[in-house]
Amino acid sequence: MNHGFYPLTVQDTREEIGGLAKSVIFRVPDELRRIFAWRAGQHVCLRFVIDGHEQRRSYSISSSLVSGDPLQITVKRVAGGLISNHINDVLERGDVVDVMAPYGTFCLDTAPNLRRTHYFFGAGSGITPLISMIRSVMCNEPHSTAYLAYGNRNADSILFREPLAGLVEGHGERFGLSHVLSAPSMWSGFSYWRKGTVDREAVEALIAENPPYAQDAQYYVCGPGNMNNTVKAGLMLLDVPASRIHMENFGAEVESDTSVSGIAANARIHLDGRTHDVRISQNQTVLEAMRNAGLSPPYSCQSGVCGACRAIVKDGAVHMRARMALEDGEIDNGHVLTCQSVPMTDRLSIQFD
Amino acid sequence: MLHHLPVSAYTSREWFEREQRHIFSNTWRYAGFMEDVSEPGQYISVQAGLSNIFIVMGRDRRLRAFHNICRHRGTQLIRAVGKVQKALTCPYHDWTYDLEGNLISVPDEEREFGRLDKSCLGLKPASVDIWKSMLFVHPDPDAGSIMDWFGEVDSLIGPHEPETLPEYEEARNTYEIAANWKIVVENYIDVYHLSHLHSSTLHMYDHAKAEYGFVGPHFTFWEPPVPDYAEDQDSKLPAPRVIPADQNGTWVPMLFPGIGLAASEDGWNVFIVEPVAPDLTRVTNRSRVANASAWAFSKQAARSAHFWSKFGLGGKYEADDATSEDDPMASGDFTSEDIYACEQQQKSLSSPHYEVGPAAVGESPVLTHQDVVLKWLDRQQ
Ligand code: FES
Ligand code: FES
Ligand SMILES: [Fe+2]
Repeated sequence: MNHGFYPLTVQDTREEIGGLAKSVIFRVPDELRRIFAWRAGQHVCLRFVIDGHEQRRSYSISSSLVSGDPLQITVKRVAGGLISNHINDVLERGDVVDVMAPYGTFCLDTAPNLRRTHYFFGAGSGITPLISMIRSVMCNEPHSTAYLAYGNRNADSILFREPLAGLVEGHGERFGLSHVLSAPSMWSGFSYWRKGTVDREAVEALIAENPPYAQDAQYYVCGPGNMNNTVKAGLMLLDVPASRIHMENFGAEVESDTSVSGIAANARIHLDGRTHDVRISQNQTVLEAMRNAGLSPPYSCQSGVCGACRAIVKDGAVHMRARMALEDGEIDNGHVLTCQSVPMTDRLSIQFD
Repeated sequence: MLHHLPVSAYTSREWFEREQRHIFSNTWRYAGFMEDVSEPGQYISVQAGLSNIFIVMGRDRRLRAFHNICRHRGTQLIRAVGKVQKALTCPYHDWTYDLEGNLISVPDEEREFGRLDKSCLGLKPASVDIWKSMLFVHPDPDAGSIMDWFGEVDSLIGPHEPETLPEYEEARNTYEIAANWKIVVENYIDVYHLSHLHSSTLHMYDHAKAEYGFVGPHFTFWEPPVPDYAEDQDSKLPAPRVIPADQNGTWVPMLFPGIGLAASEDGWNVFIVEPVAPDLTRVTNRSRVANASAWAFSKQAARSAHFWSKFGLGGKYEADDATSEDDPMASGDFTSEDIYACEQQQKSLSSPHYEVGPAAVGESPVLTHQDVVLKWLDRQQ
C-alpha cells in the first residue's frame, strides 16, 4: 500500500554551511507526482541498509511545492549520527534512495484568497520545514505577511542564510527576518536582530515590533524541544490561543515518559481496509506488536516525532509515552501515535487512516 | 417604482428590517480606523446591523471580536470605548469574562447555581479584520477571509496606502440625512448629477472622462482632473500629495453596503452610510492626509490659493437666487448640495403622484445598485 517506499533518484546535492549540512534534491517521476505532492512542513522517511541493518530516518522537506521547486531535504550532521553522516559523506547525484510518501501534520496550506499573519520561530535545522512554509506563503498568499525569528550560534552556522536574504529582497514588504545569535563572532560584519536565544523576550519583541495587520494570525514553532516549550509558553503568556500554535520538535532528544508500562491486551486493528486481531504483551507498544505479528503499518521515527504511525483509538484506552507529533485537538479526537502507545485496557480497537 | 425597486423599499419599516437582517447583519461592517484599537486591552463597540459587536485587542496584539451580550441575561457588557487590563465584568450581576471571551467567574456560583459548566457560557465570537486601514467586523465567526469580499476591488480603488497616512482628526464628522440609505448611496454613485448639482463645486474633475462600473456588489469610480487642474498640479493641490506624482485623479468607490471612499491626489476619506430608520440615515466621515508637518500644509495651502481664487468655487445658485442666507444651494459645499438633493427626493416619495422618469446613462449605477439590493435580499431568504 502507500505505506511503502518508492525508489527515487538523487538529482543533485548541495553542501550547506561549509559542509556541516547537505541538501539532497530528488527527481520525482511523473507517475509518482501525485503521491509525492507534499504540503509545506511535511517530511519524508528515508530507508537505508547499512551493514545489513535497515535504518529509517525522517527529514523535513525544505522546498515548497507551490513555488515549483523539486523535492529537497536538508540534513545537518549529527555528532556520531549514522545516517546524517552517511548522507553528508556518501550520497551523490544518481544514487537511488528508498523514500516514503510525504506525511506529517505540522503543515501550512496556503491559498491565494487567504490573508493571514504568519509568525515563525525556529532554531538550527528547525528552519527546514519553516523555509518551505515561508516560500509557499510568498508564492501563494499574496495578501499575507510572514515574520521569522531564527536562532543560531553565529553567522556561519545559519542554514539557508542566502536564500532567506533573497526572500527579504524579493518580498521585503511581506517578509520580516530577525536573526538571533547566541555566540556572534565579533569580527563578522553580519548584522543580526538580537543576541541570545529564541526565548520569551524574543517572542514578545517580535510580536510587539511586528503586530499583526491581517488578524488571522498563526504561529509556527520548530526547533529543539526546549526552545519549543519556551516559545509556546511565551505565546501562551500573551494569550495566544493554543489552536493557533503549531509546533514540531527538532534535533534534541524528546523527553519520553516510560514510567507507565501498560497491560497486555487483545487489539482489533483496522489497516488498509482489512481487520487483524493482534495480541499485545505487557510493555509492548501497539506498533511493536503489529510488526511482530507480521503486519506492515506505517511508521518512521519510532520516537513520537514524525506522526507517520498515527491512528485513532475507537475503543479502549492507551497511554502515550510521547506525543510531540500530535496537536491537542487531534488528541481530543482520539488520535494516537502507535509507536508510543501502550494499552491501558485489555481490549482495544484501532483504526489507521 | 423607483426604476427597479418599489417606493416602499425607501419608506417602509418592513423593508428596513429585512435589509437590517439580511444585508447589514450579513456582510463585513466598517467599525472604525485601525488606530481606534491599537493597544492591548483597548476596546470599542459597534453596531453591525442587528448585532452589537465589540472589538478588543489581546496581549498578542491580535484583535478579537465578540457579540456584546452577557451570556447570563443578555445585558450589553461594555459601553462605547475604553480600556481593560485582563477581564470584562457585566454590570448587572458581575459575571466576568477574560479577553478570550471565556466566562471566568460567577459571583456566589456554588450557592446560586450549584455546579455551572462555565465552558459553555463564553461570549459568542464574531469575525474581525483590518483592510485598507479600516476595522471591519462580521457577526458570523466563520465569515471566512475578508479578501473573499473585497479582494476583487482591492486594486481598483486607488494607489493610496492609507496605513501610512495619519488621520486628520478635525475632519471627523457625523450627520444625519432625512432620507433612506439607498437614496444616499444612489446619490453617491449617480454620475449624471456631478456636472449639474455640483456644477461649481466639483468641476476640477473631468466628469465626461469618468470610468466606472460594478465589481460584484461593489461600485468603482475614477475620473481625471480637468486640464486646467492637471497642469502643474503640485502647485494647485490644496494639501500635500499622497500618491505617486505620475498618478492623478479621484477614486470614489461605494463598497457594499454603504461603505463609500473618496480618495484623490491629496487625501483619503471614508463616507460610511448607516441606516437609522426607513427615512433617516447617518453618515460618518473620516479623513487621512499626508504625513507632513503643519508647516508643509500651510505652505501648500498658500501656494495653491492663487489657483483656487481664480478657479471659481462657488454655490450652484448665485446669492440673488438663494432662498435664505444658509441656502445649501448657495453654500459652495458639495456635501450640503447632496444632502439637500437627497432630502428633497425623499419628501416626494410619500406623494401618490410620485413617478420616476427615464434613467440617464450616467445613472446606470443607481439601477445596478437597486439590483444588487434585490439580489442580496432574494439570496438570503
Ligand atoms: S513512527 Fe514517528 S511518531 Fe510514531
Ligand atoms: S446579565 Fe450579565 S451578569 Fe447578569
Ligand atoms: Fe454628489
